[in-house]
Amino acid sequence: MKILFLALLGLIIAVPAAHSSPDTQKNSKQLSGEAAPLTRATEEFKVLTGKWGMRPNSPPSAQKHFGPKMLWHGRVYEYFRNDSLDAIPHEVNQNGGTKSPLHRNQFGFSVSGPVIIPHLVTNPQNTFFTLSYEGVRETISRASLHTIPTAAQRNGDFSKTVDQSGNPLIIYDPATTAPNPAYDPSLPVSTSNLQYLRSPFPGNIIPSDRLESVVQQALRYYPFPNTDVGPFFENNYFVNSPQYDTADGIIARVDQSVGNRQRLTFQTAISNGFVSAPKYFPNLASPTAPDQHYSRWRAEISHVFTATANTVNSFHLTAESNVVQSGTGSQTPFPIYQLAGSYLSMGTDFPNSRNARNTVEVEDSISTQQGKHSLQLSFQADQYQVNSFTPQYPSGYFQFSTGLTSLPGINNTGDPFASFLLGLPQYAERTVITAPSYFRNSYQSLSGGDKYHASKNLTVSVDFNFKRHTARVEKYNRQSTIDPAVLDPSTLKMGALVFAGRNGIPRGLRPSSINLDYTLGLTWNPRGDSKTGVRASFHHWYEHMPIYNGQWGTQGFNARQTFTSANTQLSPALDLEGGIPPLETPLPDLSPSAADNTVADYVDMTNRVPVYRSASLSVERQMPFAMVVTVGTDYSAGKDLLVGSSTTSPNAIDPRYLTYRDQLYNQAFRLSLQPYPQFTAFDLYGLYPAGRYQRNAGYVQVEKRETYGLSFTATYEYSRQYDNYSGPYGNQDLINLSNDWSATPYHTPQYLQLSYIYDLPFGSGKPLLDLESWGRPIVSGWSLSGMAYWNDGHPLAMRPEFNNTGDVLSTLYANVVPGVDPHVSNPGPAQWFNPAAFAQPADFTLGNGPRTISGLLGPGQNRLDISLDKRMPVGDTSLDFNVTAFNFLNHANWNYPDTTIGPPSAPNIDAGRIIGSNGGRVVQLGLTLSF
Amino acid sequence: MKEVITTFALLLVAVVGAAGTRAQTKPSIFSIPARLENTSCSGNPTFKPTLNGMPVPVRAELGPGSDQVILIVFDITEDLSRIDEARQALIADVSKLPPNTWVGVLRSQDGLHVLADPTPNHQKVIDVIQSLTSSGTPGLLETVHATLTLADAMIRKSPVRVSVLYITDGSIYSYRENYTDPVINPSDTHDLSRRFRDALIGEKISKLKRRISSLEAPLFIVQLHYRQDGLDQAYQNGLEALTKATGGDFAMCHSLAEVPEVISTMIDRIGTTWRLNLAVPPKIHSSLQVGLSASCGSRDTQLAWRSHIKLKGE
Repeated sequence: MKILFLALLGLIIAVPAAHSSPDTQKNSKQLSGEAAPLTRATEEFKVLTGKWGMRPNSPPSAQKHFGPKMLWHGRVYEYFRNDSLDAIPHEVNQNGGTKSPLHRNQFGFSVSGPVIIPHLVTNPQNTFFTLSYEGVRETISRASLHTIPTAAQRNGDFSKTVDQSGNPLIIYDPATTAPNPAYDPSLPVSTSNLQYLRSPFPGNIIPSDRLESVVQQALRYYPFPNTDVGPFFENNYFVNSPQYDTADGIIARVDQSVGNRQRLTFQTAISNGFVSAPKYFPNLASPTAPDQHYSRWRAEISHVFTATANTVNSFHLTAESNVVQSGTGSQTPFPIYQLAGSYLSMGTDFPNSRNARNTVEVEDSISTQQGKHSLQLSFQADQYQVNSFTPQYPSGYFQFSTGLTSLPGINNTGDPFASFLLGLPQYAERTVITAPSYFRNSYQSLSGGDKYHASKNLTVSVDFNFKRHTARVEKYNRQSTIDPAVLDPSTLKMGALVFAGRNGIPRGLRPSSINLDYTLGLTWNPRGDSKTGVRASFHHWYEHMPIYNGQWGTQGFNARQTFTSANTQLSPALDLEGGIPPLETPLPDLSPSAADNTVADYVDMTNRVPVYRSASLSVERQMPFAMVVTVGTDYSAGKDLLVGSSTTSPNAIDPRYLTYRDQLYNQAFRLSLQPYPQFTAFDLYGLYPAGRYQRNAGYVQVEKRETYGLSFTATYEYSRQYDNYSGPYGNQDLINLSNDWSATPYHTPQYLQLSYIYDLPFGSGKPLLDLESWGRPIVSGWSLSGMAYWNDGHPLAMRPEFNNTGDVLSTLYANVVPGVDPHVSNPGPAQWFNPAAFAQPADFTLGNGPRTISGLLGPGQNRLDISLDKRMPVGDTSLDFNVTAFNFLNHANWNYPDTTIGPPSAPNIDAGRIIGSNGGRVVQLGLTLSF
Repeated sequence: MKEVITTFALLLVAVVGAAGTRAQTKPSIFSIPARLENTSCSGNPTFKPTLNGMPVPVRAELGPGSDQVILIVFDITEDLSRIDEARQALIADVSKLPPNTWVGVLRSQDGLHVLADPTPNHQKVIDVIQSLTSSGTPGLLETVHATLTLADAMIRKSPVRVSVLYITDGSIYSYRENYTDPVINPSDTHDLSRRFRDALIGEKISKLKRRISSLEAPLFIVQLHYRQDGLDQAYQNGLEALTKATGGDFAMCHSLAEVPEVISTMIDRIGTTWRLNLAVPPKIHSSLQVGLSASCGSRDTQLAWRSHIKLKGE
């Protein structure tokens, strides 16, 4: 009997491992009201949570019993690209290339989990870490098409040189220049009323003994044409050269919990690398960016203290450094020879420079929920350092234009390369830097906000930020600017160089900016319908003056030697063979006149800073089939936006003085028309607050949550954006910026974007091919992601072929021909727009067209990217194989058309035409092991 | 001698029993959650299940009103106003639960922590909810497998309905583990590996789905903070996929006003979820496709149920 009992007991012991028998199950009515099953379930809960370390009194190390292998998670990955997988880029193919070498390996790992150090850190719930590393080794070819002088031109032979319309381009000998005794000053200069007489070179060939020896030496570094895309001799040099990129970086983070209420986090990111830009020619004269070594690090300590269920305090201390070293400094940089027009230049600016940007930030923020109010109060203080050593033109900059080889005052004569061969620059400059600059500024802010839940369906929020930005100072007060209110003793004209910290000038040259930003917001569910949400907001804020890399605003301590031609049609800025002479006055030169006759750095000394405001309104509606539709509109605008010298200048000549016509080529006369004639020009360095912009947009977004494995988001936006400063070639009227108000040239009026993820419907747990056999791992775990977009092109900007404005306007707009439609019925590469709708303005007049043509867009861009993923479980880990095809359809996007408009006498035959397309399918393979 | 025989007999039976258990490579019963989409059914519906197309009998069913355990897991990290709204909503809903619905409370940050064992004392649960604090790091993806394993063990131990309800407001960006694939080398302008940045999330969700495919408890998730950026959308879709894989449900709060309604709806759904014990035929694919229809009186009714399960005994 006892045996039987024990046997029965044994059975009872054995059975629970299996699933409970159906006979032990009872239906709901039978179970209702009985506590025993609930008690048993709860006991199981207690046992397991105790065993797995989830209870307050569990031993700290117990949680690792719940599968210690699960405690650390992460991945190891490799992404691989090679040109053998890719399509040949269209731009390479079109230029006869058959290969575009590419080798790229991107590899790394990421791991995170609890920190467990035997006998030291034993609680896996208190300390966590994350460590990620990534490295890149890449060689990638970059293709580009340029115009360079022909072999004949290099020898001075311009007999076959033609203008944009294919007519011979005459090169004149500047040595034969003489005043025209028959010139009638009351009439415009023209071929029948020349101010100066000048003879063409016989046969349009510069004699070899006139060729400048310095130039001939420089030309040894200049390549010869290797293609003939045209039109005529243009687009005759195709280069597909390699770029090298080596990078390594880590991100590390440690979290430490202190009880249930405090958390301490330390995070750091370190990266360094090398980037070598593709060279147009394989020597030091290549006009491409110098090689760069960079290193960055960032460290952050955070402390989060949960004081009560409704109150949290967060503290952050962050330090960051970013150092970029360009060039090797081991060899003398090549001078820059800049050829006006389309010729490729020689030499590069900033050949050897070093910029270090360091930031320290401390922030404390407290958030609390009090009744219907969610309140937040923060304090932040930042300290910025920018240490910069950036000589822009240490070996000199020489600019060559058509003027000195032209027939003075007559368009479509002369050639910048001919001026170069003769060694006749119209402008030259050299940068002399004596020491690095150590710029500093700081930021303090007190911000707060209240989100008030007025009712279940209405939330109103108010946020403010009261902030102070100090002006840029230099550690040793080595800053200066032109102060328009100070008399220049040398010229007895207003406007002289003043120095920070001297003679009552503040260290920062300008006052600190103290501003109040604010945001108002509203969230409302109309008629209490929680499926419909209306959101509205208004934001008003101020930007600050950033510290850019570079040593702008240090004249007197450093120098910018400037050489300008007395008349760009008659005489060079200097003798190229003699080079740039040494500084006449040693540095530092702290006299008020130290910047006279130079391009002077001008710091705006007012307290103006950019001001922005934006408003948005959107309605979001949850729809059937797991869809959310959002319809919204945005408005944003800004004023006093930071602009550079190509947009405006306090020393600009009023365009109404164009009536002086050819007199303007006389530099002394032209400068006398400037507000501050003792300075050649002002350099604003992109920090002058004068720009304005406005953007209006409407959009629709449809988001579809996953059903049957498919989810997607589609967004369509239509917008208009206008401004008065954004180029693309600079402003025509530097004084009246309202005249330059037009469509933003980089703006895309319409776009449609679609992204989707589709878990393919076959394999394990899927409706199709749910195989039991060996084929199951093969057919399971596939997903397809995609991204597609269709963008409008940008507004086109027309520019005239000739700018005969006496060197007053650096940018001239084209005229609009009334009654002629710029659009064509079937825009294509042969004719994208109708050039007859535009015209070259008459000499010494402003173009009457806008900066950009808002209704005339360049070719749109579209692309379809696809990624196919295959996930394979390998025990508790998984292997993810990924093939991504960027521009899957190998679609060619057209380049932009030629927008240069010539006069009727020499029309640009290429106007409106598109040369070539770009893009090409790129394939990347990826392998990720996740654990 | 008698003791020896007794002991031997005992061991023999135990070994045979255990061997029998091991020999049975697939369980004979497994349970799935099922829920009527429309609640107009006045009586009990009649369930008609199929496994891989073969009709199978329902061996037992636990319906609304039967004993139930709800494990509420808090994964709250961010906006205090949403957290407070969720707390108030839960307190209101928990206080209405019947006595045979026991509620346990857990927290999912830095691992899973028990705040309250399942208890019929709803006031105790309310007190715990009232004192909840937020933390900066979400833990749903790290803890959901453990929570479902726990609930699964409870289901297998006792004939009660056990459901897991996550209340979360976390963003995928806030996770300690790196799902957002941050750019490590900022100067690497040719980085195409991050064009489809949701891949890591998809991989994690896929792995989790595989791991929970043999667990029987349904997962319900309320995301308090709906986000529209691409990565968070992938995350939200992933959370929904996890719930669907277990026969549970997912809901998001698009606004603060929705929080009470969404939580209340979810608690209702949990309460009206059936647990059906289905008999497994002896020779069947271990990865089961479940077909289920239900009729209420003379008409068919719409159902939400778990359509796929991997047998644990495999």
